[in-house]
Amino acid sequence: MAEGSSTPEPIQRLVESFHRLPGIGPKSAQRLAYHILRTSEQEASALARAILDVKQRIRLCSQCMNITESDPCGYCRDERRDRSVVCVVEQPLDVLAIERSGGYRGLYHVLHGVLSPMDGIGPEHIHVRELVVRLQAGEIQEVIMATNPSLEGEATAMYVQRLIGPAGVKVTRLARGLPSGADLEYTDDVTLARALEGRQEV
Amino acid sequence: MTDRSRSYSTEGIVLRRRNIGEADSILTLFSLHEGKFDAVARGVRKAKSRMRGHLEPLTRVQVHVARGRSLDVFTQAETIEAHRALKADLERMNLALYCAELADRFTIDRVEQRPIYELLVDVFHALDGGASAQAARYFELHLLAITGYEAQLDACAVCRQKLPEEETLISGPAGGLVCRACRPAASSGRILSVRAVKVLRYGRTATIHQFDNLRLDDTLERELRAALGDLVRPVLDRELNTTRYMDALERADRIPALSPNHVQSDQSNPVPPEP
Repeated sequence: MAEGSSTPEPIQRLVESFHRLPGIGPKSAQRLAYHILRTSEQEASALARAILDVKQRIRLCSQCMNITESDPCGYCRDERRDRSVVCVVEQPLDVLAIERSGGYRGLYHVLHGVLSPMDGIGPEHIHVRELVVRLQAGEIQEVIMATNPSLEGEATAMYVQRLIGPAGVKVTRLARGLPSGADLEYTDDVTLARALEGRQEV
Repeated sequence: MTDRSRSYSTEGIVLRRRNIGEADSILTLFSLHEGKFDAVARGVRKAKSRMRGHLEPLTRVQVHVARGRSLDVFTQAETIEAHRALKADLERMNLALYCAELADRFTIDRVEQRPIYELLVDVFHALDGGASAQAARYFELHLLAITGYEAQLDACAVCRQKLPEEETLISGPAGGLVCRACRPAASSGRILSVRAVKVLRYGRTATIHQFDNLRLDDTLERELRAALGDLVRPVLDRELNTTRYMDALERADRIPALSPNHVQSDQSNPVPPEP
């Protein structure tokens, strides 16, 4: 900050750091910074340590690329999980979402991104090679593409299918249809058509 | 934009989507009546959003938009053409995204560009119906013509002399074909076969379906792609993202079976920073 500014430099620096976080505007950043100022030194250093720990102790699992503290990660080590199925997701948070559903007991693979033609993001920007390497071991029979049902997610799913389909591994895609609680009349044609295709006996 | 009422309706094609905040997106819509503009779709990334499926890139939609202080806000959206087949094929999806980015870069905000819009609608329609990469070539050729960069194909772009029927230099900076005598004056270019010149000339007056129905071999297809790329490039200030992406896809395809030496075995697997 320029000389003569009423805000002391350390506070200004903290405000700017908060401002860089997603979803934090200038006002929220200020409020957070002044909140930190009022907290005890103990609490503040706990926060600082937590931030550093995340950066220093968290790494990627060498198998599934999920974030983990110990390599291989808990999912990859778990003997009770089905090792013939791999669920491919965009982000580590997606793993949590699928785990929460309670309907899946296989392994994961985290791409850390998605192919995005509009942003120039190609295969070398995501962890897709590592998936191919895993498949070479031959244990995996099915790859479930659980990328988002967006244009980018579809592009990624099609790309992976093209990449590993010829190797004889079954590639499946999460079903697309109506979310629970949705209104039929507001549903777009694509979703409705897919829902019809994927209809099931009641 | 004389009408300053609080909201308006138009149809358009979603060119681009950027995510902001928790669940919102900013979409670039190329519309029939308002030209190209950015507007916010609130909550569109939530599963329960009523507009979600309608506002995917490459979809042709009818929208209702409320004027906002800085950015307008989509209040309703309904699909006109989902272009479902196009989105289910990696190659054709890439071609369509390439055309969408070209349309984005060749237009300015809030200026009605009906001919370009109609051209894009035709090209997407053709691609959705199974058209080849020739549809994208057709788009380039006509986009240049509509925006005032029509390729000079009948006479030399430098001296305006009539051209003999032979292999001819085509130069992006010169804006078209360049005769033998003027070649030193053209800063760059590539030699175009007689066949390729004929196809380009035909493309100017053909419909997209006639043009797509031409049976072109791979050599000719590559020649046309390169030549039109040369003509388009000088108009753009920087490389297209979709071009960069398609090049990356091609590079990845060339690596046989993706060799395992790339993968790290243990430690130091840093979490990648967010792009």
